[in-house]
Amino acid sequence: MEKKVNINRPDISSEEILKRKNFDSLLKQYTSIHKPFYKNPWFLSGAGIVAVAAITTIVLKLNNTNTPTTQSVKQETTAIDSVAIANFYKNEEAKPCINPPLTDINIPVTIYKVIAEKGAILNFKTGSKIIIPKNSFADKGGKLLKGEVELHYREFHDPVDFFLSGIPMTYDSAGMRYHFESAGMMEMLAYQDGKPVNISPGKLIDIELASNYTGSEYNLYKLDTLANNWSCLGKDKTVEDKPDSKVTATTTAKQLEQTIEYKTVETKKEEVQKEKNKKIAVLPKLIAEPEKPEQAKKDKYTFNLDIDAKEYPELAIYKGVLFEVGNENKSFNSSMYDVTWDEAIIKEGPEKGRNYLLTLKKTSKKYDLVVYPVFEGKNYETAMKEYQEKYSKYTAALDKRKTEEKKIEEVYQAQLAQLKKQEQELELKWKEQQENQFRQMSAQEKVHRMFAINGFGVYNCDNPLAYPTGVSCTAGLNNEKDIKLMCYDVFLVDKEKNALFSYTKNPVVKFSFNPESKNLLWTVENGILYWLKPEQFGEIENSEGVSNLRMNKVEQKFKNADEMKDFFNF
Amino acid sequence: MIETSKYHITQAGLAGEQLLVDAAKKNPKDFAVLYDKYYEPIFRYIYQRVDDKEVAFDITQQVFLKALDNLYKYEFRGVPFASWLYRIAYSELNNLFRKKKVEHTVNIDSVSVYSIIEEIQESKIEQYHDKIIEIIAEQLDEDDLQLIEMRFFEKRSFKEIAEILDITENNAKVRTYRILDRLKKIIK
Repeated sequence: MEKKVNINRPDISSEEILKRKNFDSLLKQYTSIHKPFYKNPWFLSGAGIVAVAAITTIVLKLNNTNTPTTQSVKQETTAIDSVAIANFYKNEEAKPCINPPLTDINIPVTIYKVIAEKGAILNFKTGSKIIIPKNSFADKGGKLLKGEVELHYREFHDPVDFFLSGIPMTYDSAGMRYHFESAGMMEMLAYQDGKPVNISPGKLIDIELASNYTGSEYNLYKLDTLANNWSCLGKDKTVEDKPDSKVTATTTAKQLEQTIEYKTVETKKEEVQKEKNKKIAVLPKLIAEPEKPEQAKKDKYTFNLDIDAKEYPELAIYKGVLFEVGNENKSFNSSMYDVTWDEAIIKEGPEKGRNYLLTLKKTSKKYDLVVYPVFEGKNYETAMKEYQEKYSKYTAALDKRKTEEKKIEEVYQAQLAQLKKQEQELELKWKEQQENQFRQMSAQEKVHRMFAINGFGVYNCDNPLAYPTGVSCTAGLNNEKDIKLMCYDVFLVDKEKNALFSYTKNPVVKFSFNPESKNLLWTVENGILYWLKPEQFGEIENSEGVSNLRMNKVEQKFKNADEMKDFFNF
Repeated sequence: MIETSKYHITQAGLAGEQLLVDAAKKNPKDFAVLYDKYYEPIFRYIYQRVDDKEVAFDITQQVFLKALDNLYKYEFRGVPFASWLYRIAYSELNNLFRKKKVEHTVNIDSVSVYSIIEEIQESKIEQYHDKIIEIIAEQLDEDDLQLIEMRFFEKRSFKEIAEILDITENNAKVRTYRILDRLKKIIK
C-alpha cells in the first residue's frame, strides 16, 4: 500500500485537541443508534396484538418507579461490591514487602544467644555455618555493643519455604521483572533487649550457606524491604562439602546445645535447682544435736572450769560439767594437777563439740591439753535426763525437717524430669528436622555457598529466571462451589524449578506454564489455602479469552512447613 | 526472563478503571470520564497515521462511539482500558485505509530518524537519513511500521507498546530490534 510521507509536520497542541472534545455529541450519536427496541420500525410492523400487550406490560413495569425492581436492587449491590473489591486490591497492594500468606504457619526462627565481645561460630541444622567475629554488633548509632545479643536465623530452600515466608521472589531491574531460581536463601536479624542491632561498621559476618545447587550462575542478592526489591551484591563462592565435614552425632549435639530452645531448658534446670536450695534454706533452722553426757572415769584427771554459756551453749545446758584430760595429752603428768594456774582458757578442740582445748598458764609456762566434758554422780544422772529430753526434741525436729526436705526434693525431681523430657523432645525434633533437611538436599550435590554480610536482613543466592512458557492462560479463580475467590497473590510452582512464580489477580490472573512440567497453583483467600492440582493443568489450553479455574480448598491444617511439603510431595 | 510488568498503571489504578468501565456499562453517561481521560492519546495515535487533522478528529470520535457501542463486550484482562481503545483505533484506521477512504500517512520527524540511525549504530547519519525514511514508508509491512511508529515517532515505552498490542514487553523489544536489524542490512 502506498503511503504519503510527511517530514517534520508541525505538532498540534493539547489545547487544540481538548477544544474538540465533545462528549455530548458522542452520547447523542450513541443514543440515536440505540433507540429503545419498541420504537424501531421493524418491531411495530412485525408485531401482533399479543406482542403489543406484552409491550404494554413491559412499559408499565418499567414505568413503575415507586417499586424497586430486582434489577435495581441487584445493581446497587454490585456497586457496593465493586467498592469493596477496589478497597481489597488497594489494601493488598499496600501490604508490607514480606507478607506471609498464611498466618498460622511460617518458617520458624532459630534463636542463638551470642556474647557480643566474644563472637561465635554457629552451626545451623542444615549444615550451614555462621562465623561471627568478636565485637561485631553495634546499636543504631554505631556504638559497639557488649553482652548478650539474640541472633534470629532461618533458611529457605524450596518453593514451600519461599511461599510460607512471604518473601518476594521477584526482581525488578531496568523495568524488567525477573523471578528467582534460588540456590538457598537465609534471613538473619539480631536484637538486644528487644531492640534491633546492626553489624558494627567495618565488621563482616561470614555465612557458609548449605545448598544443593552447585552452579556458578547464581548471584547474591539482599532484600531491600523499603524499595521492595533486591539489590545484587555480586557472586558468592561455592565450596563443596568434604566427606569428613558431614555432620556427626557430636556436632549435632553441639548444634542443638546452641539453640535458644535448648538453652532455655538448661536455664530452667538451673532455676529449679536454685529454687530447691532456696526452699531448703528457708526451712526452720535445725537445733544442734545434743552431745550425750559422758561419765567421768575414775582413773582420769578432770578440771572444773567456769564456762561462758554464750560461747559454749552445748555445755551450758548441763550443770556441773568437768573437763577430763584425754589420752592424747602425752605431756600431761599428775604434777600439773597440783599447780595453781594463773590462767585457764578453754577453746574449741580438734573435734568440734566433742572435745576442747584447755590452755593453762603460769608465768612464762603454758600448756595445751585436749579435754573432754564429763559428769560425776548426780550431775551425770541429771545431765542424762536433760540430754534425753533434748534428744527427743531434736529427733522430732529432725524428722520434721527430713519430711519437708523430702517434699521439696520430690517437687524438684518432678520439675527436673519434665525438663529432661523437654530436652529429649527437642533432641528428637532436632534430629527429625535435620533428617528432613538432609533428605531434601542431595548428599552428592551439597555445597556451601559462601559470602560475607555487613548488615542483617534477607540474602538470596539466586539466578534470575524467565517465567515458564508453553501455555498462556487468563483466568478467574473460583472455589469448589464456583464462587469467585477474593484473592490477590497467585503462585505457580513448576516442580522442575526451585522457584516460586508469582502473579497478581485483579480481577483475573494471567499466567503461563510449561505443560511438560508438573505444576501447582496456590492462592489464599481469608487465610485458607487453595490449589490447582497438576492434573488440572492438562485441561488448560492456550486461549485469548478468560477461563475460570476451579481451585481446590486445602482442608488439612498444616502445623509446620514439613507437613505442607508432605502434602504437596516436595 | 522475561516477562515484563504488564501494568502501565498501578493495580489500584486498574481496579479503579475497572469500576469506571462497570459504571459506563450500566449508564453510558458515565463513559464521560474515560472519554476525557483517553481522548487526547487516541487522537494523537490516529493523527500520527493520517494527513488531515479534521479527518483525525472525526476518526477519533468514531473510535469512541464504537467503544461505547461495544462496551458491553469489553472484558477486563489485566491491562489498562486504553489498550482496548488503541486496538479499536488501529482496526478503524486499517478499515479506512483498505477502503481507501483515508490516505495512509507516515508522519516522520527528522530527530526520530536520527535516533533510529543511532540505535542501529551507524555513524553516517546524514547519508542514511533519507534512505531510512524511504524504507520505513515503502518497505515495512503494517505491523512493523506500527512498531517503529510507536517506538520512535510516538516515543512510547516498550511496556506501553506491549499493552497496546497485547504482547509481552519482551516480545515488543525483540520484534523492534529485529526490524532495526533488517533496516541495518537494507541500508548497507
